[in-house]
Amino acid sequence: MVFSSFVFLFVFLPVLFIVYFAVPARYREARNYVLLIFSLVFYAYGGIAFLPLMIISIVINYLFGLLVSPGLITRVRKLSLIISVVLNLGLLGYFKYAGFFIENLNSIGFSIPVPDIVLPIGISFFTFQGMSYVIDVYRGDAAPERNILHVALYISLFPQLVAGPIVRYTTVADEIHERKENIGDFSKGAIRFCFGLAKKMILANNLGTLADTVFGSSVSDLTVSLSWLGAVAYMGQIYFDFSAYSDMAIGLGHMFGFNFLENFDYPYISKSITEFWRRWHISLSTWFRDYVYIPLGGNRCSKKRQVINILVVWALTGFWHGAAWNFVFWGLYYAVILLGEKFIWKRFAENGPSLLRRIYVLTMVIVGWVFFRSDTMLYCIGMLRAMSGGAVFSDGRTEYCLRMYGWVLLISIVAAMPVKNWLSNFPDKHKSNRLLSFVQNWAPGCLALVLLAFSYMELLSSTFNPFIYFRF
Amino acid sequence: MKTVSRLFFTTGFIGIIAAVLLVTLSKNDLRTSFVENRALEEIPVFSRDNFLGGEYFEGWEHWFTDHAAGRDTLLKIHTWLELNLLRKPVVNDVVVQDDILLGFNQYGRWDISYLEEKSEQTAKNLRDFSDYVESLGGRFYYVGLPEQYSYFNNLYPDYMENREWILEPMHTSFAQAMKKYGVNYINMSEVYDSMNRPREFYSPTDHHYSFYGALAAYKTLMETINADSGLNLKILTDEDMEIKELPNPYLGSRNRKLYGLRYMGEHAAYAVLREPIPYSRWENGVQTDAPVFKLPDNSNKVINYGIYMGNDYAETIIRTNREDLPDALVFGDSFTNAMETLLYTAFNEMRSIDMRYYTEKSIREYIAEYRPDIVICVRDDTAFFTETGNGNLK
Repeated sequence: MVFSSFVFLFVFLPVLFIVYFAVPARYREARNYVLLIFSLVFYAYGGIAFLPLMIISIVINYLFGLLVSPGLITRVRKLSLIISVVLNLGLLGYFKYAGFFIENLNSIGFSIPVPDIVLPIGISFFTFQGMSYVIDVYRGDAAPERNILHVALYISLFPQLVAGPIVRYTTVADEIHERKENIGDFSKGAIRFCFGLAKKMILANNLGTLADTVFGSSVSDLTVSLSWLGAVAYMGQIYFDFSAYSDMAIGLGHMFGFNFLENFDYPYISKSITEFWRRWHISLSTWFRDYVYIPLGGNRCSKKRQVINILVVWALTGFWHGAAWNFVFWGLYYAVILLGEKFIWKRFAENGPSLLRRIYVLTMVIVGWVFFRSDTMLYCIGMLRAMSGGAVFSDGRTEYCLRMYGWVLLISIVAAMPVKNWLSNFPDKHKSNRLLSFVQNWAPGCLALVLLAFSYMELLSSTFNPFIYFRF
Repeated sequence: MKTVSRLFFTTGFIGIIAAVLLVTLSKNDLRTSFVENRALEEIPVFSRDNFLGGEYFEGWEHWFTDHAAGRDTLLKIHTWLELNLLRKPVVNDVVVQDDILLGFNQYGRWDISYLEEKSEQTAKNLRDFSDYVESLGGRFYYVGLPEQYSYFNNLYPDYMENREWILEPMHTSFAQAMKKYGVNYINMSEVYDSMNRPREFYSPTDHHYSFYGALAAYKTLMETINADSGLNLKILTDEDMEIKELPNPYLGSRNRKLYGLRYMGEHAAYAVLREPIPYSRWENGVQTDAPVFKLPDNSNKVINYGIYMGNDYAETIIRTNREDLPDALVFGDSFTNAMETLLYTAFNEMRSIDMRYYTEKSIREYIAEYRPDIVICVRDDTAFFTETGNGNLK
């Protein structure tokens, strides 16, 4: 089930609201059970065959969360930690990477049958979430949870299950035990959800169609203008798609009294790649920082060791995104740039002219997205060659794409900027102005309802499927 | 005021999502979508396999979105916004211009070296079929027509794909192959070209030709039959009929995809015989009074290509009881319909079958049973090479 589906919006959510809020607030555990059941239903909806995997992950992390608790024998704790990490990564490795590894072994002479494994939805997210729980308990950052249903709720909570953010247990532990749902948080969450839904349905989906049109062309058919258009479209698609899911997840969390951390902070206004990765998929980059980079030594070691640490972390970051070499390459690409900003062009990255730095960041990021989106390295190289002038400048397709999607590109440019922050701050500077105060109170909600209606319309339009020859 | 606004929004939010669900569940009696020309999703059937694999739930998603509250209204609004606010050049797969609607062709080219071989193979099959017809005492004629997008090929905007790069070689190789194998081929693309492709011959909003285009094809076909067979069949002229235009708004297939938002002032034409020829008609084995032109009962009713013969039927028989005249069999897709309104006048009996729906016999078995004197196949150029439906000549 995805948030931008009819069943989620108009069946799952209303039924959940009715059941959840019918339980009096004082029965906290009962409300938790309702959320847990609905979360498991949410996950099973995509294929009940995957539900046992989720349950196994929950049981593993619950048991090992207890076994790594402070107070137990150090050797037991350490061994339990290692085993839990191995088991979690083993699950992820099997479902997500087994095919990749076997294909690569076969390419060097082996002859192993490639298994046909279906990737369970959200496995990259809930596996990392479970691991972070056990590691935090081991470190003493989080208290071990003795109630398995609380661990189950934490791991399976549907708002962040499919596409993050990767929530740390410490963020929600208190709220699982004790939270207060109220109309203020509910409306704040619902507004956030509506804006996220509109980002997905109106911006991301349309940009995605444009990007798919370009990336679906053969390399030899690419033109300079079309390749840039496709790359920019994908840049917008991935941001709006991903950040929209985070918006919706955070919004849903608010509705039920949870406060997840922000996952995106207008990354495209960054002035360095270092800053970009502090604004993009924050929960993932901090996860790798806290659980891989810092344990490896972080930057509190020799320069040579630092370089290795960064390369390892970013190779893994890339690999986490997908079981293919172009993702690893994408990760290493950023590693090289980050190293460059750290050791070579540090002055420019920190103090260079603002406009130049923004252009530098956008260019680096666009090139990175071409690696990310391309199906093969050959396609990636071909696309980059076209973008750098190694093709005919333009043909009719560019005009077609601009006429079809120019409007969404323009809106996207505005939507990628922190306009919401600027608008929110504006009335604060004019607190005494009643009109502005009225607008501040009413505008977000009214706009959210309008966007909800438009999103519904877009949802239906995506199912428009005419046949011309059926009756004639 | 903050509390009031929050309450307003929360009520609105929950109200909208609840209302959509309730209205959807309460109103789900539609089985087809007129605009999309397809059957709507049925409630998914439960099975162990599709439950475990997730397809059962996916089926519910499809069902809900097909039957969602306000679907047609919202899709119409969406179409209106794309046409008039965003002014997109292509909406719902229709190339939208001020005076014409065309089918959208995806960009991209492919190797067309297969055309010659395919043309040869098709022409050979048609030759074989023609021999079969002749072995049973009949004559076979193949009418090849351009589809609307092909006819108005030159009206696509410069930046759009008009498939000219494949249409020309396809027509050339097909005509050459038909000539090589001696099939009686009425190449209407060539005929229309010689007439400078009159604008009124094809609909500006439908993928078919207009009645005027059908009339030109009918005349060319009849002249060819007469020249080839020596039958001297009656060809209707202006003296035999009056062409009239209906004032009704005409909903072409392409405009239908746009929810009827682009009518373009088109009016359907039909013929009124000065001396009507009495006939009996059967549709799918049932006798009917239906006329060949299904005219509306008032001038406001929206009409479409279905006024020609009423619809696509698996089998239509029209008997004029003039036994001195030959019998004819016409088969093909919907392009046959407009021509049939004129063809029946030349024959004692005209049978028309659409092999997409007729399943009782193969086309050869049908011919063997009814022994028509003239067999006519009418295809548009998007279907020249298909081997199923009306392209299945086995």
